[in-house]
Amino acid sequence: MESGMYDLIVIGAGPGGYEAAAHAGRLGKRVAVIEKQYVGGTCLNAGCIPTKTFLRSSRLLAECRNAAAFGVRVPAAELDMPAVIARKDRVVATLTRGVEGLLKRTGVEVVRGTARLVSRSEVRVDGRPYTARNILIATGSRPSVPPIPGIQSSRVLDSTSVLSLPEIPARLAIIGGGYIGLEFAGFFAAAGTETTVIEVLPRIASGCDADISARLLQALRKSGVRFLTSCAVAAVDGNTVHYRDENGAAASLCADYVLNATGRVPVLENLGLEEVGVDFTRRGIRTSDQGKTNVAGVWACGDVTGRRLLAHAAAREGIVAVNNMFGKPDRIRYEAVPSVIYTHPEVAGVGRTEEELKAEGIAYRKSLAPMALAGRFLVENEAGMGVVKVLAGEKYGEILGVHAMGDLSSEFIVAAAAMIETEMCAADVAQLVFPHPTVSEAMKEAILQLAH
Amino acid sequence: MATPVEMPKLGNTVEDCLIARWNKRPGEAVAAGELLAEIETDKATFEVTAPLDGTLLEVFFNQGELVPVFTYICVIGEPGESVEPFRPSRAGQPAAAGPAEPPAPRQAAAAPAAQTAQAAAPPPGAVFYSPRARRFAERHGFYPAPAAGSGPGGRVLEADLRRQFHETSRTSFLAGRLVESGQEVRGEGSGLNRMVLARDLAPPPVRLSGVREKIARRMRDSLAATAQDTLHTSAAAAGLLALRARVKAARRQKPLADITIGDMVMFCAVKALVEMPELNAELIDGSLYRHASVHIGFACDTPRGLLVPVVRDAHRRSLGELSERAGELARAAVEGTIQADDLAGATFTVSNLGSFGIESFTPLLNPPQVAILGVDAIGLKPVRRDGKVEFEACIGLSLTLDHQVIDGAPGARFLKRVRERIEEIEEICGLEL
Repeated sequence: MESGMYDLIVIGAGPGGYEAAAHAGRLGKRVAVIEKQYVGGTCLNAGCIPTKTFLRSSRLLAECRNAAAFGVRVPAAELDMPAVIARKDRVVATLTRGVEGLLKRTGVEVVRGTARLVSRSEVRVDGRPYTARNILIATGSRPSVPPIPGIQSSRVLDSTSVLSLPEIPARLAIIGGGYIGLEFAGFFAAAGTETTVIEVLPRIASGCDADISARLLQALRKSGVRFLTSCAVAAVDGNTVHYRDENGAAASLCADYVLNATGRVPVLENLGLEEVGVDFTRRGIRTSDQGKTNVAGVWACGDVTGRRLLAHAAAREGIVAVNNMFGKPDRIRYEAVPSVIYTHPEVAGVGRTEEELKAEGIAYRKSLAPMALAGRFLVENEAGMGVVKVLAGEKYGEILGVHAMGDLSSEFIVAAAAMIETEMCAADVAQLVFPHPTVSEAMKEAILQLAH
Repeated sequence: MATPVEMPKLGNTVEDCLIARWNKRPGEAVAAGELLAEIETDKATFEVTAPLDGTLLEVFFNQGELVPVFTYICVIGEPGESVEPFRPSRAGQPAAAGPAEPPAPRQAAAAPAAQTAQAAAPPPGAVFYSPRARRFAERHGFYPAPAAGSGPGGRVLEADLRRQFHETSRTSFLAGRLVESGQEVRGEGSGLNRMVLARDLAPPPVRLSGVREKIARRMRDSLAATAQDTLHTSAAAAGLLALRARVKAARRQKPLADITIGDMVMFCAVKALVEMPELNAELIDGSLYRHASVHIGFACDTPRGLLVPVVRDAHRRSLGELSERAGELARAAVEGTIQADDLAGATFTVSNLGSFGIESFTPLLNPPQVAILGVDAIGLKPVRRDGKVEFEACIGLSLTLDHQVIDGAPGARFLKRVRERIEEIEEICGLEL
């Protein structure tokens, strides 16, 4: 089936690429997706899903240790790392089969190999030519490697290699207090590792609302993670991390492993972008809200655009691009894309943060409700911490941002996203029925405090 | 033999059809295959044709009525034949004498809603709505902008309206409040399912204030009724600047009007007008009225818009008096306390945009006045003197005249006078500083 023109060739079978390909397939288009490594991409194989299986295990461990508080006696619980990894592999295998099944059902051809653009309508896969009316670049991202001396050392792991670590280290240093570093910090701290997070900024989870990130810092400290904020790593020497502390003084830290969690960078190399004239910077391919690049017929979605490095944003961007390329106008609205950090406690947010509102000069009102207002939260969490912060417009009370910390907030944040999409005002939320008892009732409380 | 015509069944799910239009009246002769009536389902219109030659004896239903399929709708035969055997068994309503225009729609169950909708918006006029479409519009209070429908002759069908109703963008909760507070929808909604969001709204157009409307009319009339020609020149401003500096210095010692550059130029214009009264004149109905007194108007920027206060008998005032009076009037104009009398009766006008750095402009005449002087910014200009080029501070002057009565040459002569007065301001101002 190498002859003839495709309606769409997707480069990369991650969540952006496979959702787009399947969507185009459902529209009856002739679609191929080219994948050089693994179907499902980072999300399924080395990101969202594997880390969540790890975190589920560590949470269960923490719950077992805390079981007495719930009236359950559990004799010494401990983590069986090979079994954790085996479970992760099983979950990943199941989901990968699911994606493969989806592509098959929707008639998408999967081509194994490395793709390179030759023109706006031709791609070579390991030398073989494929032509298409539309090309969607969805090559994703990979862990960034900052220019720190010694970062290439064998003791330094990244978010992919750490998933195959067969043993629980006694000491782990994590460079970077973003969501990747924090999720692993939570896992290893629960597993008994002496875990230290080194963050160059004065706060962790920098994209989050500051109130939430301060509370998360507190909660994670309580669960045993050590934080060195405002500290810049200068070098890694074997298993020693050298850094400058908040006063600029040299200091160092010994660990069995170092996890580089400094973020992710788009995969742009060897794609033929320069030859075809696609506009990009090292932060990603420039795209419109419709997914168009500057070259007609060439589209991009997901992490490679550098816009929102989130699987769900990538999937939506891919579907938007497909809709536009086949004549149905569509656009992604970034203001209502939620984000989640799966620490324990979880953090979930959507819309603008208080800092963003201040920077944009938007007049707002805010409310902050403890999650313990919701009976279910107490039932589930015993002594856990939780809070919901709501930001609403000064005059009309339209919901501008909802930021929550507390377990299960990831499951109800989509309601806040829908409120923001439809520009609901705080008073309108009174018309919605929230199921009882659920943690989401805390969000309702926080919103209704702003209704007038 | 009388032959009935029945409502056809146009689809498996069609239970009834609507009589959109009768093309024949009872008593008219019809030929086989000729169009009797147009009928419609909620999706399309169809034609009912005569099955045989004859006379249309009777129609059993009015336009706009919903008729079950397979029901007799009319009878064709020879005049005098009885139609009673075919009359549908429903509450024996005889058909009306002919097509009623406009059709009286059957009062549906949703009558109250229909009535309020009707009260809120007039029935569509520009485009012909099919009776079913009309009923849908009334029931939903939905009257989209007129556009041709998909029925015969561009008739709007119910299906057209249903589709439009579905596609019509809804407003978000916030946008709804904003629309209520006066904002207006511009363009298509950018939200989910084309929902209109706050960012798709814009403030409503602003109705011109009374003052603004008056200004607008005067400006239009000015251009329409006169032949405007603008001359530009400049005058050496050294004298103005020196005098201004002396005024500033003197004001620190004793009470004195804050005489501005604009006041000084206005004073010079008054002097020139006394010498050349043909520019201190009004053209009314083909007669030119020259004035001995100079009542000078000056354009004044106020929060309500442009106002032109008038300094009466300017020719009798010293520079200090002129400045003081102009200052009073300007303050009153800005504060909105100025009397109507002080805004009328000018014989000549000065407009000063110099403080904004304007280098030249074309002031608009204030009819029936025949000239207006624009005062521009002071800037440096190269001047050749003793074989060398020097830079000299100069003030720009822009004189618009009504070429109907003032030719270019007298206008230029007047401008020359003004220039000379400006350059000798220190000698003529009579100020003891």
